[in-house]
Amino acid sequence: MRKHSVKSAAIVGAALLVLAACSSNKNEAGGNNGGSCDTSKGTLTVGVVAPLSGNLSALGIGIKQSAELAVDEANKKCTVKGYKLAVSAQDDEANPAKGAQAATKLSTDPTVIGVVGTLNSSVAQTVQPILKEKKIPQVSPANTNPTLTRGNDFLTAPKRQFENYFRVCTTDDLQGPYAANYLVEKAGKKKIAIITDGKTYGEGLAAELQKQVTKKGGQIVGSEKVGEKDTDFSGVIAKIKATNPEAVYYGGEYPVAGPLSKQMKDAGLNVPLMGGDGIFDGKFIELGGKEGDLATSVGAPTESLATAKAFVDAYKAKFGKEDYAAYGAFSYDAANALIGALATTLSSGDWSDSKRDDMLANVGKYSGSGATGDVKFDQYGDSTNKVLTVYSVTSGKWKDVETGTFTG
Amino acid sequence: MTPVLEARDVSMVFGGLKALKGVTLTLDEGKIVGLIGPNGAGKTTFFNCLTGLYTPTTGQVLLKGNVLPGDPAQVTDAGVARTFQNIRLFPSMTVLENVMVGRHVRMKQGPLASLFHGPAYHRGEKAARDRSRELLSFVGLNNLDDELSRNLPYGDQRRLEIARALATDPAVLLLDEPTAGMNPQETEATQQLIFRIRETGVSVVVIEHDIKFIFGLCDSVSVLVQGELLVEGSPETVRADPRVVEAYLGKPPEEVAHEVEAAAASAEEEQA
Amino acid sequence: MSVLLQQLVNGVMQGALIALIALGYTMVYGIIQLINFAHGEVFMVASYGGLATYTWLLPEDLKKVPYVALPLMFVGGIIVAVIVAVIMERFAYRPLRNAPRLAPLITALGVSVFLQEFVRNVYPNATSNLPYPKVFPEGALSLGGVNISKTGLLLVLLSVGLAVVLQTYINRSRMGRAMRATAQDPDTAKLMGVDPDRVIVLTFIFGAVLAGVAGILYGGYLSNINIDMGFQTGIFAFTAAVLGGVGSIRGAVIGAFIIGLIKTLAGQYMPGGTQYDYVWIFVVLILVLVFRPQGLFGEPERVRA
Ligand SMILES: Nc1ncnc2c1ncn2[C@@H]1O[C@H](COP(=O)(O)OP(=O)(O)OP(=O)(O)O)[C@@H](O)[C@H]1O
Ligand SMILES: [Mg+2]
Repeated sequence: MRKHSVKSAAIVGAALLVLAACSSNKNEAGGNNGGSCDTSKGTLTVGVVAPLSGNLSALGIGIKQSAELAVDEANKKCTVKGYKLAVSAQDDEANPAKGAQAATKLSTDPTVIGVVGTLNSSVAQTVQPILKEKKIPQVSPANTNPTLTRGNDFLTAPKRQFENYFRVCTTDDLQGPYAANYLVEKAGKKKIAIITDGKTYGEGLAAELQKQVTKKGGQIVGSEKVGEKDTDFSGVIAKIKATNPEAVYYGGEYPVAGPLSKQMKDAGLNVPLMGGDGIFDGKFIELGGKEGDLATSVGAPTESLATAKAFVDAYKAKFGKEDYAAYGAFSYDAANALIGALATTLSSGDWSDSKRDDMLANVGKYSGSGATGDVKFDQYGDSTNKVLTVYSVTSGKWKDVETGTFTG
Repeated sequence: MTPVLEARDVSMVFGGLKALKGVTLTLDEGKIVGLIGPNGAGKTTFFNCLTGLYTPTTGQVLLKGNVLPGDPAQVTDAGVARTFQNIRLFPSMTVLENVMVGRHVRMKQGPLASLFHGPAYHRGEKAARDRSRELLSFVGLNNLDDELSRNLPYGDQRRLEIARALATDPAVLLLDEPTAGMNPQETEATQQLIFRIRETGVSVVVIEHDIKFIFGLCDSVSVLVQGELLVEGSPETVRADPRVVEAYLGKPPEEVAHEVEAAAASAEEEQA
Repeated sequence: MSVLLQQLVNGVMQGALIALIALGYTMVYGIIQLINFAHGEVFMVASYGGLATYTWLLPEDLKKVPYVALPLMFVGGIIVAVIVAVIMERFAYRPLRNAPRLAPLITALGVSVFLQEFVRNVYPNATSNLPYPKVFPEGALSLGGVNISKTGLLLVLLSVGLAVVLQTYINRSRMGRAMRATAQDPDTAKLMGVDPDRVIVLTFIFGAVLAGVAGILYGGYLSNINIDMGFQTGIFAFTAAVLGGVGSIRGAVIGAFIIGLIKTLAGQYMPGGTQYDYVWIFVVLILVLVFRPQGLFGEPERVRA
């Protein structure tokens, strides 16, 4: 729109001022414990690209702080000999263009050994190639779109897309079908309407769900799109209400999903709304998510995992709150994968740009046991951990209903 | 006795153009003063200076001995009202509403009183409406209250402007070419209207090109030429002044003299 | 059939919201020929003002009493909106009153960005959607399969009611006549003793009060607010004002209802669905501007003497 360009110009102007004012926002993690380790060779940096402001900042901040926790612990344990580790967190505002800026900034810093991020699949698409140029490994805690690792024909002709890209979470091609199985087989909802926000993440989820619903004998009764910034969904709701769905599947994130669920109820369409990990957040309920709404998320519930207990305790000790959000444990594992691979890489000599090939190879070969379970990557860079969980809003909180592995 | 309106040495300069060069004019209570002069002489500019639309470069304007403020709204409040050479009614308001806007300055209703229609509001509105209707019938516009002002015939628009000006309860009324575009009957009626206005205690300054009309109407006439006051005096004095004859509108002197005489003759006839 | 009725009801409710904001655009334009692009932001700020009143000013026990909390939120939101509008008029627009028209227009854009960024940076957590308190009439009336949200109903009643009050005020009161006179000929209005500064401030205040009411109702109707709401809704309101004929009160209201209805009906029945509903709004706008440039109820542009 016309006004937009003027606005953006002004915003960019303001942003430049802010950038100039705080040119360095590196977080020196674990500074006062550095004394006990040898850090004579300098500082190496773990980059983070996540939405630190904007609608999805709750998730982004969980990612950033969990990475900081991993770096902090590594510094204390002298995991990387001779170096001190730092975190440089860049805000992508959940916006692909901003993500590109963040990635460019990190890729020009020679001390960056790898990047944890992004939250959004759409942002990953612009970040991947930029980091690839500099052979910087990227481990995403949260991208669930299968094309990021296996290309557009991810089911029939998978092909590795970026040798520097890995993820520790499961993908939508499992999340969507897993949700479909739950809806059709466990919950007995045969007539399902789909609403998406048009972004890569939501479209991917919904497309896979749709296939599986049909396969299991359910029926897609309607399919609608909403804008990411829409707030009044009465039109869409009236349209799908007419098709009498038993459940609505929303491919998108909680800022829209919360109000959408509330408005569905107000409009007399009182059926559960189900979504993927993008709506699995406390904010969804605060913004209007209602009792009985459902979400799938990758992995097992952080709280109920024996492996995650240490992470949760350490996080709480460091930050005082349990706001690691949906991807905290994944982000912690992603950072640890980078740190572990770095330690292996440096066992054969000091850090320099020529070590980057080794580093990439070592991330690919990394194997560890993390907060979310085993952390290991397959030939595409995907996690070998395919555990998924269905959650439901119960007494105003997300409660896990069922954890399992998708088997078809 | 202090004159009701007094302009002292008023000058107005636009960039390099001296539109008024030290004009002095006095209007005594209950009088009608005429202001004549060729096109571009500065007559309308003089009115604009009197009403605060322009701030004179030098000089002063006094109303009943007090210096007038430089703001049009305050000038109106003080008691000077005017009409315009090129009619400036509020085109999309009705006839009655136009006059009621003229009452604005005499009404006390504030923004909130208007919102909560209390008894004070109703009293105020009724009084304003009644007075406006009275003025409309005074100028001869009956049964046109709800007509949009832009739909009135030309002559009626001029009369409506006079009614609107009178609605501000002025001590002095300034009329800028009130008969322009009128036929002889209408002109005649306007002359009678101005006399009746004077009877209500309002003093009048009137600009007109129609010399017959001016000489028949005014107690005294001032002649403005190229921003300067050329002659001032009773119609007879002005009529006799050769400079007027010579300067007036650049017409051949004989023709003007003839015109002036004819006007004077008919004015005398009327008075007789 | 019931889908059509439902969409009509939805359209009317959206129209009612847009109307409240469109009135502010149209009144200010009528008086000073300024498209006050920051007016959408006044609406947004009011919404946050109402939320702030609820969050920080209301004692806990009153928060649970809707018929006390809700009116106080309206008061808080309206006060914030009025203060913002008056400051905006006084310091951003008044100094430019005699400048070329483009100057205040650019200033309006600047004020708009400023207000958005101000709220983003100052209001806690304003970077993400904020839930609105549940002090509004809950639930909906159901009439033959058509759902009428109670808050939506309140919205329509208030919107139409306030538009009528405004229209009466402008037609039948001293200050209302002064406003119209100033809009038609400011110099002559001055000569009738009308103080243009007062009239203009009053116009901004009226616009702000209506935007304030809209800001609170928006929060209640949609249960969430965010800092983009002013821009989004503002564009529709501005379009409604242009469609109805900028400067016309009746035009703004009717234009707003037309836009609300086009939006919902196009979302239901036109190709592209709800994703492209606004496209149809602009199609209609363009058609109206081509065949009736002054809008549905506007007066043809007058050349000022
Ligand atoms: N605002 C202005 N800016 C510049 N020049 C002006 C302005 N107003 C009037 N003038 C000039 O001042 C001179 C006097 O104009 P004015 O309108 O007062 O004449 P007038 O005597 O009323 O003429 P007419 O009989 O044609 O009405 C003219 O040369 C006119 O162009
Ligand atoms: Mg003139």
